[in-house]
Amino acid sequence: MTDCRRPTASGKDRYNRASGALLDDPDNAFLDEACVNSSLLLAAIPATAFATFSLPLLVQRCGRAAATLAAATVMATCLALLLPLAPAAFAGHSEVARLAWLPGYGLDLSLRLDGLGLLFCLLILGIGLLVVLYAFYYLPTSDRLGRFYSILLLFMAAMLGIVLSENLLLLLIFWELTSVSSFLLVAYRSDKYESRIGARMALAVTGGGGLALFAGIVLLGHIAGSFELTVILAAGEQIRAHALYAPALILILIGAFTKSAQFPFHFWLPSAMAAPTPVSAYLHSATMVKAGVFLLARLYPALGSSDLWFWMVGGSGAMTLVYAAATALFRNDIKGLLAYSTISHLGLITLLFGLDTPLSVVAGIFHIINHAIFKASLFMAAGVIDHECGTRDMRRVNGMFRVMPITATLAIIAAGSMAGVPLLNGFLSKEMFFAETISYPQFEPLGWALPLFATIAGMLAVAYSSRFIHDVFFNGEPIDLPRQPHEPPRWMRAPIELLVLLCLLVGIFPGWTVGPLLAAAAGATLQAPLPDFHLALWHGFNKPLLMSTLALAGGVLIYALRRPLFAWQAHLPPLHPRTAFERFYRALAAGARRTLAVLDNGSLQRYSALLVSFIVLLGGWAFVSGPSADVRLPGQPADEAAVGALLVLLLGALGATALYRERLLAVILVSVVGLVVTLIFIRLSAPDLALTQLAVEMGTIILLLLVLYYLPPRSAPRSSARRLSRDLLLALLAGGGLGLVTLQMLASPFETMSGFYLQQSLPGGGGANVVNVILVDFRGFDTLGEITVLAMVGLAAHALLDRLVLLAPQHDADGRPWAAEAHPLFLSMLMRPLLPLSLTVSVYLFLRGHNVPGGGFVAGLITSVALVMQYLANGIAFAQPRMPRHAVRLLALGLFLAAGIGLTSWLFGRPFLTSAHGHVQLPLIGDLELASAMVFDLGVYVVVVTVVLTVLAGLGSLSLRARSQIEEV
Amino acid sequence: MTLAEMQFQTPELRLASAEIFMLVMACLILMLDLFVKDRKRTVTFVATQLTLVGAAVVTFATTSGDIGYTFSNMYVGDLLGDVLKLLLYLTVIVVLFYSRGYILERPQMARGEYYALTLFATLGMMVMISANHFLTVYLGLELLSLSLYAMVAMNRDSVPATEAAMKYFVLGALASGLLLYGMSMIYGATGTLEITAVAERLYMGQVDRGILVFGLVFLVSGIAFKLGVVPFHMWIPDVYHGAPTAVTLFIATAPKLAAFAIVVRMLVNGLIVMAPDWQMMLILLSVLSMAIGNIAAIAQTNLKRMLAYSAISHMGFMLLGMVTGVANGDARFALNAYSSSMFYVVTYVLTSAGTFGMILLLARGGLESDELEDLKGLNKRSPWFAAMMMMMMFSMAGIPFFVGFFAKFSVLQAVVAAGYLWLALVAVFFSLIGCFYYLRVVKIMYFDQPTNSLPIIAPLDMKILMSANGLAVALLGIFPQALMSICAFALLRSL
Repeated sequence: MTDCRRPTASGKDRYNRASGALLDDPDNAFLDEACVNSSLLLAAIPATAFATFSLPLLVQRCGRAAATLAAATVMATCLALLLPLAPAAFAGHSEVARLAWLPGYGLDLSLRLDGLGLLFCLLILGIGLLVVLYAFYYLPTSDRLGRFYSILLLFMAAMLGIVLSENLLLLLIFWELTSVSSFLLVAYRSDKYESRIGARMALAVTGGGGLALFAGIVLLGHIAGSFELTVILAAGEQIRAHALYAPALILILIGAFTKSAQFPFHFWLPSAMAAPTPVSAYLHSATMVKAGVFLLARLYPALGSSDLWFWMVGGSGAMTLVYAAATALFRNDIKGLLAYSTISHLGLITLLFGLDTPLSVVAGIFHIINHAIFKASLFMAAGVIDHECGTRDMRRVNGMFRVMPITATLAIIAAGSMAGVPLLNGFLSKEMFFAETISYPQFEPLGWALPLFATIAGMLAVAYSSRFIHDVFFNGEPIDLPRQPHEPPRWMRAPIELLVLLCLLVGIFPGWTVGPLLAAAAGATLQAPLPDFHLALWHGFNKPLLMSTLALAGGVLIYALRRPLFAWQAHLPPLHPRTAFERFYRALAAGARRTLAVLDNGSLQRYSALLVSFIVLLGGWAFVSGPSADVRLPGQPADEAAVGALLVLLLGALGATALYRERLLAVILVSVVGLVVTLIFIRLSAPDLALTQLAVEMGTIILLLLVLYYLPPRSAPRSSARRLSRDLLLALLAGGGLGLVTLQMLASPFETMSGFYLQQSLPGGGGANVVNVILVDFRGFDTLGEITVLAMVGLAAHALLDRLVLLAPQHDADGRPWAAEAHPLFLSMLMRPLLPLSLTVSVYLFLRGHNVPGGGFVAGLITSVALVMQYLANGIAFAQPRMPRHAVRLLALGLFLAAGIGLTSWLFGRPFLTSAHGHVQLPLIGDLELASAMVFDLGVYVVVVTVVLTVLAGLGSLSLRARSQIEEV
Repeated sequence: MTLAEMQFQTPELRLASAEIFMLVMACLILMLDLFVKDRKRTVTFVATQLTLVGAAVVTFATTSGDIGYTFSNMYVGDLLGDVLKLLLYLTVIVVLFYSRGYILERPQMARGEYYALTLFATLGMMVMISANHFLTVYLGLELLSLSLYAMVAMNRDSVPATEAAMKYFVLGALASGLLLYGMSMIYGATGTLEITAVAERLYMGQVDRGILVFGLVFLVSGIAFKLGVVPFHMWIPDVYHGAPTAVTLFIATAPKLAAFAIVVRMLVNGLIVMAPDWQMMLILLSVLSMAIGNIAAIAQTNLKRMLAYSAISHMGFMLLGMVTGVANGDARFALNAYSSSMFYVVTYVLTSAGTFGMILLLARGGLESDELEDLKGLNKRSPWFAAMMMMMMFSMAGIPFFVGFFAKFSVLQAVVAAGYLWLALVAVFFSLIGCFYYLRVVKIMYFDQPTNSLPIIAPLDMKILMSANGLAVALLGIFPQALMSICAFALLRSL
């Protein structure tokens, strides 16, 4: 799935005007044929890099040299793959290769090679090769280098990915990958604190910038309708006119500025200098920090040419240029000076892009090349000095010229280039910069300001370069060095020599050396015809030359005045964004802890309070936002009895809540609530419910009283008044809200199914008591499920209580002993005759249940309460032997009865639980309507009795057992 | 209604055959275990795993790709359900493999009930996934929740575990109540609880909207609790931290799939007409979750607790996809948005499984290894596992070339497409904060000195599985298209 793109119309033009002919006429036939091959070649570059980055790790057991060779081979292979593609890129073609990846999201594996990409590829691979050689000597011999080179290659692969991406999302992926791999490189000496801090900060800043970039790119893709550069670069007008242009631009610039260490995100770069020097030379001068300006260049046709661009890019660049240059002057660490000088030069490049004219863009590209060359050599020289002296402090490293004259000469030339001394490459781009500031059109009333600013920046650059040269190589004798320095090994110096040679060549013969490359890169950047420019050393006496002269003179002067300056600087309050970052970092952690202390204190009460508050809020929101709730009260008038009962209910509930610490009282009040509910059921003509409620109420109260026995005599400490009022408020709001909603629900008209049951109960189920018919017939399956659950509860209670022994207290809360006489004679005598009476009532209720209020459930409850009363009155010793023993078997029997009668209906070819009914004439009792559902009801009865007895008797017997044990002791 | 209409009809059992199979097998295994004398319960373990595989076979065999309803429309069988169920089985199988060694070292846990509860929880999730009735959702949810409460408290002698279970139970009961209350409101407003019928009546406009909005509030609150998003998240840190890690692993993975399913079933299938209302609520929940989840995670020293907060933020992020389905009454982006959420959930489950699996792998001799400190110098102890863990962390942080990046990317892209630019920016901002603590884990593994230099011993199956899990995170990061397509296709055929 490859796709070839023809050269853009202007491609040939551009190339011809810029650099003279290399290829006469692009031969279309040739291109078509070569297209697939070149796409493959293009894809092969990052593929090779990614596939082989771990090679050094694999071969490191064969020695350091093998690892180095492997790394160099990988880079050289990539370079070799690149070379066949270079002529087309020089000619202004954009080679595009595409492989579908996530077409649904506009993310393809598509690559692009044009002049700009080629330039960066050459920088990445060329300087990479030199760094590989250099690192072999720089890093200690104890390091087997496999890991170092592997990470370095991974980084290189990611960098290649950035500069070769056609798809912006793909670019972003590689972008983040450089952040991660550079994190690993900076933290390479992980035992050093500075390394770890520096690495962390670099990652936080560049990673964060990457996310901003992510957002920006998503926006840009949204605006342009595609993430492909070809589309985006052609849609510049549309993008700039879009409403989202400003946020997209700002986000993308944040990404670019963090990567290229532009103000105010520059602070990570000096900290990242804790990295080994080869890493600094590679990442922090030539490649990674250039990724940001690469992005500016790449997106220039789409995003540039607007006021916002000018002010943001130009402003940040100008600020960085001067601020970093001034800071560099005061650094005592050689790498610190170089770091700030790097930031300053990146600012210069950014400013050039911000000036937003075709020529300034060309100058920016040119300075990218020059800076990469001289700064890499300077870092390597600094590394040599560090390596030889054991320190980089310029107050101690002095007079190196005598010790290592060759290195010193090389470094001096490179530093001269950094200062912008004629005959060196730095001079040329700086001249172009000066020229641009003078001719900048948009700044009319303050036309002099920009050149002045540029000159000051130039002076500062000269000043810190002078300091570097003079302090390190001259300025008396070295002071107290940890090591005795001498010239480095021959091959360690070779990369520096090569780079310095390039400085000179480019500086003297710019047109021959970088001309074509610059033209191709600038053409690809602008996506438009190149402006007229001349690469030459000598342009005659003009204003830029005057500015250069002024800068040189002023810089030397500043350096000469350094002592008072340093003294002045020492008095300034230290202002480091780095500390601001640290402060932010600490504040974030502290904020997180504070948030946690509020939200996550481990208290269930706090959690529920938060949960309920939020529900109240949401409910309130729904209440306000919903259509006007018109609550119609039910039409029935309230009668006195109901109001009175409700008042009692309310008082009971309130009392139980208020007195919850007096447990006995609270239980009694709860029972009041239950009784009132029973009365309400009667009032509302629901005798079945009332009966059941009454029986359940009794069982529950006994259960509660039994359980009270096991609770600790003293309850938990009283909550604070604040908390109580909070809970009260929440309860009122939540309860009130729920009440309102319920009222609204009940007030709205609804259909019920009652009519159906009322009609069908007698003909369909053979019973006049609709409630019971529903339970045992219509919804018999549900009831079967319910009693199964009940049986399981009984089983569980049996299992839990059977062997549990809790020691009962001997005294109550006030220290009074429990009554010695557990079972008063009067009570027990009274209770015994009650048993047959109660049982008769329950049989009666059971039998009539199908037609009038009653049924298996109520009958079961009454039987169990009657039996429990025997326990209470006569004690376990009396009651236990008289009770059926096998709870488990009884449960099984109950379930069997219920399920069995259901199953028998299958025998008659009816569905499960079909009921049959008929009439029987019994002597004495008379006509009795019998339904097969009654057997089902009997099952319910048995289960209910067994479960209630198991639970209550289990709890009761335990207390006695415990007490008797105590008495024995 | 007449009696004839009440006649009982035999439901189409084929659609629910996987659930039936699972139920029968879970009961059988519970009983089988009574006769297993082996302390390691190998038979029970194998039977459980085979059951899950069997359920997968049944699900796969009964997939038709069409939408079918059964049990009086209470139950739906569709491709979305089948895909989610297959992922669910896979997750549970992996979880059980990871947990095996851990629970063997804890006599309280190495019992048959653990496996039976796992199967019942799985059944609950299957019911949730295939629910077409609010009560069916509730049924599945309670089956899941009750099993989970018991599983959290499985290690009865552990104080944190029982405390966690207690909190989980109390808050979970409250949340279930909310959900049920919301459902009753929806019934009050529409007169039905059948999800498709609710949708129909809403579409026809025959509803009481005032009550419906109330119902929605409670419904969303209940869902939010199950998803664990702020402010219904309080149980997550305590339960993740307090529960035995094997159970945490289970809670942190499979239920997220089911929670996603019920969001789709209830909110999308049933209440899509109310989308503007619930989307607003979800936006609030989502932003709060991302904010509090990510910020609170920074302050954690316990890995499980940190991951708990990370889970909160991830679920918040996942919700972003759900809130962008309908923009200005336009549902063009719905499929895209919901499938991005689904992809997010699936990849999160995958990554989360690996991460907790790693904690299980490091736990030894009955001791936990869940403090961040325990990861110190993991690279020196086992470079391979450190690399796996690093991939998990990178994926969770959303670093490219790992699947988490594409999950975040697809959700964000849906958010931007729906025009919620500010929301995308907020999400990106909090993800950035999130990166911080994931990368801290990487830093601890690679740059800190190990406090104990014992090599890591793990059974072979665990090693293989962990490696497969890590590689899946990496490979899906390079080839996410297939999984994305599956998610989109399943939703396309089911909505």
